[in-house]
Amino acid sequence: MSTVDDRRERLELLQGTLEVLILRSLQLGANHAYGIGQFLERQSESEFVVDNGSLYPALQRLLQRGWITAQWKTSPNARRAKYYRLTPLGRKQLVAAAGRWRRFVLAMGRILAPET
Amino acid sequence: MREWWSKLGALVTRRRGLAAELDEEMAAHIALEIDENIARGMTPEAARAAARRHFGNVTLTAELARQAWSFPTFESLLQDLRYGLRGIRRAPGFSLVVILTLALGIGANTAIFSVIYSVLLRPLPYPHADRLVWLGESTAKSEGISVTWVNYGHWRDDNHSFGELAAFERTHLTLTGRDEPLLTRAGLVTSSFFRLLGMRPEAGRLWSESDERPGAPKTVVLSHTFWSDRLGHEPRVLGSTLQLDGEPYSVIGVAAPGYQFFTKPVDYYLPLALSKSARPSRGQHGSIRALGRLRPGVTPAAAQADLDRIMLHLAEADPGPENDHRAYATLLADYLTREFKLTLLILMAAVGLVLAIACANVASLVLARSTARAREMAIRAAIGGGRARLARQLLTENLLLAALGGSAGLVLAHWCLRALIGMGPRDIPRLAETALDWQVLLFGSATTILTGIVVGLAPLWTLRKVDLIAPLKDGSRSVIGASGARGGQSLRSVLVVAEIGITLLLVFTSALLLHSLIAAQTAPLGFDPRRLVALELVLPSASYPSDESRGAFRDRLTEDLRHLPGAVAAGAVYCPPSGGDCGDWFYSIVDQPAPPPGEVPVSLFNMADPTYFRTMHIPLRLGRGFADADRPGAPRVAIVNEAFARKHWPAESALGRRIKSGGPYIAGPTYQIVGVAGNVSQMGLDTEPLPEIFLPFSQAPSAAMVVMIRTSGDPASLISAARHRVREIDRNLPIQSLQVFEKSLVATLERRRFSTLLQLLFAALAIILAAVGVFGLLSYWVNLRENEIAIRMALGARGTAILSWVGAQALRLIAAGVALGAISAWAASHWLQSLVFGVSARSPATMAAAALAVIATAGLGAALPTWRATRVDAVRKLHEA
Repeated sequence: MSTVDDRRERLELLQGTLEVLILRSLQLGANHAYGIGQFLERQSESEFVVDNGSLYPALQRLLQRGWITAQWKTSPNARRAKYYRLTPLGRKQLVAAAGRWRRFVLAMGRILAPET
Repeated sequence: MREWWSKLGALVTRRRGLAAELDEEMAAHIALEIDENIARGMTPEAARAAARRHFGNVTLTAELARQAWSFPTFESLLQDLRYGLRGIRRAPGFSLVVILTLALGIGANTAIFSVIYSVLLRPLPYPHADRLVWLGESTAKSEGISVTWVNYGHWRDDNHSFGELAAFERTHLTLTGRDEPLLTRAGLVTSSFFRLLGMRPEAGRLWSESDERPGAPKTVVLSHTFWSDRLGHEPRVLGSTLQLDGEPYSVIGVAAPGYQFFTKPVDYYLPLALSKSARPSRGQHGSIRALGRLRPGVTPAAAQADLDRIMLHLAEADPGPENDHRAYATLLADYLTREFKLTLLILMAAVGLVLAIACANVASLVLARSTARAREMAIRAAIGGGRARLARQLLTENLLLAALGGSAGLVLAHWCLRALIGMGPRDIPRLAETALDWQVLLFGSATTILTGIVVGLAPLWTLRKVDLIAPLKDGSRSVIGASGARGGQSLRSVLVVAEIGITLLLVFTSALLLHSLIAAQTAPLGFDPRRLVALELVLPSASYPSDESRGAFRDRLTEDLRHLPGAVAAGAVYCPPSGGDCGDWFYSIVDQPAPPPGEVPVSLFNMADPTYFRTMHIPLRLGRGFADADRPGAPRVAIVNEAFARKHWPAESALGRRIKSGGPYIAGPTYQIVGVAGNVSQMGLDTEPLPEIFLPFSQAPSAAMVVMIRTSGDPASLISAARHRVREIDRNLPIQSLQVFEKSLVATLERRRFSTLLQLLFAALAIILAAVGVFGLLSYWVNLRENEIAIRMALGARGTAILSWVGAQALRLIAAGVALGAISAWAASHWLQSLVFGVSARSPATMAAAALAVIATAGLGAALPTWRATRVDAVRKLHEA
């Protein structure tokens, strides 16, 4: 989502987070690239900038690792699109990564929390 | 790892489809967004523009996505190479040792492989060479004996297995009517021979079936070499006639230059069919062999069964003494290399083991270095070098070292090869054509890369366990060594033990071969080889048509030669010692029960004149030698050798017994044994003597003979006088060879000497490498333990205690290696036995000697580090620590 139509300053994605977020978005079911982008933007309440220049390579990397698979399907509004789906391996990776991130966020939060 | 596999897979399967699919996917992406924008109430144009803007740069996105599928860029590879080169330059001594070691290993392997490729593996230069089959007859006793002309005819006409059959035979004919009489080599062949081998005329034509019909004019096709070397490359020779054994043959063509089928190249080809009598019998053997091209899909075994069927049928239709003869068929390529295969493969195995030792040495060195570099690696890992990246870096460095070693090895192989071809025995087919062609270079490169990977794997294994923290926290090197290096150390010990084991195997093998060579050279010959001249002649049937004329010539020649100044004695024989297989034949003992047809014994048959045994100093154990009284009309007599006498009458005298030539089922004369002569190795110095029957020339005439002349002084000085003498008797008689006999005798050991020399060379290489390996390992071991040694010394240990402590470590390694080597040598003795002569492949004495040599050399390698251990400066070391 480029920033042209919205002047509000958005958060840059941290290195390595995009892949976890993609896995998370696919946990709900198969989705196409556009849908993944929409999901991330919606869930982050438009805080994250998801650049297609990062999204597409990230999808390719996940395919290579065998964490997701892809299949051409017809969307509800009769468009043919490439749908990505989590593999069992990807599901395991997501669980591990999510755990790590929660600890990370918690730790960051504790340190940054205002002294009381 | 998984990523790499998917990338590799993608490289093969969907490289081209990827771009199209991405385009389609992104088009769908934009279309979906347009749909949504319209649903939100935008006009189609605005919706399209907004979606495009929102998506961003389509081309760039596609490119980035595609890049995810590409391999690490060339730049990062270059960077690895640069680091690698820097690493190599930083440790010049280490790098030089590694490169030299690998060069020796890879060079020797490439050189030997190129010989093997040329002699064994390269397809023969004939059309459909993989379907060419060598054919002969076989009996229960021997395979591949000659085919009779009649049988060949039946095979040719009745088989279902071959596209084409050809028969061939060699003979010697005298060419006269030119400046000097010349003994020439003729190939008697059928016209199909040219087609089978894909031969073409260079001038004129090759002959066809019509030239082979009975009554056709006698024609000859010259070989290119004979035409250009002997006949002056004259085009006029076509249509002229050659006088061969006194008969005119008209020259109709010259064969194009190319690979010669015959191991000893022939000078020209004559129609085989014309040399055969009109009504030959089925049992009439010459020296014909046949060649066939299998129909596609037919195996040699099936073809042999097909020919056996014909032979079985013939046994009923045209019965004879050879009813039990069957066909023998083997692929031509196998037939031509049958004698060298084992020798070459064992050499290849030996040289492969040398490479294994070289690899072990280098791996051990690299391992030691990587332990020393633990700190460097820890720093790199700490500042963000991924472990995979570090591994790649190490592997690149080792591959680079291997590549440098391999290149040096190829140069070495180039030199070695020239030496190999120069020294190699002449009778190995195609040895002279050996070259570093692309297949060999491919082998060399593959060996190099494999070596690099094998050598590089060892440090990778230790990298897995690199402790990032300890080396950084602790500045002192000794601590790293004592803790982190233990794993590498045990791996290195295993390598050194394996090295010593392999070395012992190689040293043992070469000791066996050396022992065999010495045994062959010093084996009792059965005659006195000193001061002998051998004169080889074949009397042309044109000028010596009768047995009487040949006998008269032989008597006169030996008499004349005996009276040459400097000559002491002279005698003629058909086949001199080490002359090879000059012919064997069936026989039986009269008055003993006849053996069944398949078990009729075979003996070497030879002819000699009355003075031969005396001239050669071959002792007569019993009875008498041949005498002038043994004339053509007189009772037939024979002399047998001791091997023959012992075989049949181990406890009794052979004198007076009677032998029937041909055995009970084939017609042949009967001889009475009048003498028993000492054994002489007929087949070569490195063979056990075989049973042999001598007949007097006078009763068994032959056109071929070797006159042996014993001299009182230097035999070489007699040669020109002997040649002159022959010329005086018959100026048209070509001399086949005239030389000091000892020289030709030694030449028969050429092949054995060659393989022994190579094996010794490899063993020497192995033993040096192993000593270096022991030296390296022990030096490192001592280095790691300098602190410990210093403490022991400070606590009062004397030099001798330190010495025995380190020495015990070295001895343990060496003893384990020697045990390993002895066991593997024992296991390999089955293959080795066929290579040795006069010594057992399980000779404990040879094993002991080999083990002693290995222990001594390895001990030498251990001596310096052991001594250095006692010189550790305890005070300084303890201050440092």
